[in-house]
Amino acid sequence: MTATGFFTDTSVCIGCKACEVACKQWNQLPADGNFFSGRSYDNTIHLEATTWRHVAFVERSLQLSGQITARPFSWLLMSDVCKHCERAGCLEACPTGAIVRTEFESVYVQPDVCNGCGYCVVCCPFGVINRREDDGRAWKCTLCYDRQKAGGEPACAKACPTDSITFGKLDELREIARKRLELLHSRGVHEAYLYGMTDDDQPGTEGLHAFFLLLDRPEAYNLPPKPTVPTKGVGASWGTMGVAAAGMVAAAVAAVRFVEGGKK
Amino acid sequence: MSQALTSGLKIGREMDPDLAMLTGEGAQQRVKQAEPDAGSIVPLWRQVSSRPAESPPDYYRLPLLKEPVWIWSVPAYFYLGGVAGGCAVLAAALPGKRRFDALASWCRLLACAGVTVGPALLTWDLGKMTRFLNMLRVFRPSSPMSVGSWSLAGTGMLATLSLLLGKKAPSSVRYGTAFGGVMVAGYTGVLLGNTANPLWLEKRRLLPPLFIASAIASTAGALELRPLNQHEEKVVQRFGMVGKVGEAAAMVAMERRTPTNKEAVYGVEKGRGGLLWNAAKVALVAGVVLDLIPAKSTARRKASGVLTTLGAICLRYALLETGKDAAREPQAVIGPQRRRMQGGG
Repeated sequence: MTATGFFTDTSVCIGCKACEVACKQWNQLPADGNFFSGRSYDNTIHLEATTWRHVAFVERSLQLSGQITARPFSWLLMSDVCKHCERAGCLEACPTGAIVRTEFESVYVQPDVCNGCGYCVVCCPFGVINRREDDGRAWKCTLCYDRQKAGGEPACAKACPTDSITFGKLDELREIARKRLELLHSRGVHEAYLYGMTDDDQPGTEGLHAFFLLLDRPEAYNLPPKPTVPTKGVGASWGTMGVAAAGMVAAAVAAVRFVEGGKK
Repeated sequence: MSQALTSGLKIGREMDPDLAMLTGEGAQQRVKQAEPDAGSIVPLWRQVSSRPAESPPDYYRLPLLKEPVWIWSVPAYFYLGGVAGGCAVLAAALPGKRRFDALASWCRLLACAGVTVGPALLTWDLGKMTRFLNMLRVFRPSSPMSVGSWSLAGTGMLATLSLLLGKKAPSSVRYGTAFGGVMVAGYTGVLLGNTANPLWLEKRRLLPPLFIASAIASTAGALELRPLNQHEEKVVQRFGMVGKVGEAAAMVAMERRTPTNKEAVYGVEKGRGGLLWNAAKVALVAGVVLDLIPAKSTARRKASGVLTTLGAICLRYALLETGKDAAREPQAVIGPQRRRMQGGG
């Protein structure tokens, strides 16, 4: 099967939250309760075990290029989701094999295997996956594996009224993204760039299967500017552990020998 | 963090509202800073234009990463695993002489207890306790937790065998337990370092030596509480001194503020983690000082053992708490990555 994914074009997102609602409904995720953040229109705050799409509202006293308003004010909107990394920190860290790569090359948590050790939570460089308190298992976006199995597109992409969320084959998505970027640049939106589309854009994850067209620095949307999957550098830790372990053995042998030697 | 604090000329509020909770009347005013061309000496009559200090961009200062979900039983396991590892190594290193028999059997007992109670504590933290056997469903070398689970399972069996066979255990079992023990004592450092947590990731090369050294110290600390004869006491104290000095050195190295992640360290200093970390330091140093008093006394030895044990336990809780603090600070993630990009790395 060919790899599928999301291309989320934030330049056409209108912040309607249809994706959030569609995702909750299709996946039968519980509501997050009555919570008022006081931060713009964002009461969802972040991706959670029960929130697999999150619309971020970046409200600022700045003017975007090409924008004509009485006073400087703009919104950047972005529908965030699990990135389904080419090299996924959660997948490589999962000790039970609960997190697998599907035939659509998305990253999927098998709920019947996950034992809730919580290691994927600290190994995700994007802060996506989390463990549910009530249920004890780790959950995140499945890229609507069930819908894809039936030949459909994920609920969020289906519900998106502006096609800010585009679902499709990864190669085709990249082509669409490049064309869209060119168009925006030709119209004078020079801030636009593609976040994490390929290995070249984001070597730390070797590219994302859910990538974004952004209009500001990634950290403005609460995305890490240069994420790296932790397992990429684990050799250094094992190396120093080996040296320290040798030291431990040497210390034990020396402690015994020293006392024994003194007795002779 | 704030340019206003470092620039020579300060105009307006000198305290960055990002650094403290401000509740006064003017609390919402932004910090201002002089235009860069204001010069070092500014005449009183000249009005200096100023602009609001720009805080580094983030998303409403909301955390970027998720906090570790682990509860109290995980640091408790880290401690027990360390004791088990140190005891397994010491048991293998002790010669089969009669005067070391008591110490060797204590070591076997503690090693076995550590690697059997430890996994129980880990299982307690699992979201789905009934599925703990899933840990042994696959072996995944890229996951330190998978490597650790297998080491723990293997060491558990070998340590139990060692305990049952006692002195008659073949050397393959003794050395096997020792190898497994070293893995159990050290993999936890790799486990924490192999995460996206800004603090643990930053110290990924230091955490394994810290855990190993602290395992040695806590082994000695636990054994010092037991009745020991003269020879055993010497062995335990010498072994422990190596661990305590190593632990102190690793802690000093951890504390050195590398310029790559000052945000993570800043967040850590305020919280519960910082308090626990300082407690660990105090207990460790006090234990070492007691060890260095030349007078021979069982009470002194036991007091040192208690202090070392307390220090080792505090250290493990401090690591978890500071990790949580660091995960709450978005700039601790963004800052170093941004600087790495600017450095071209």
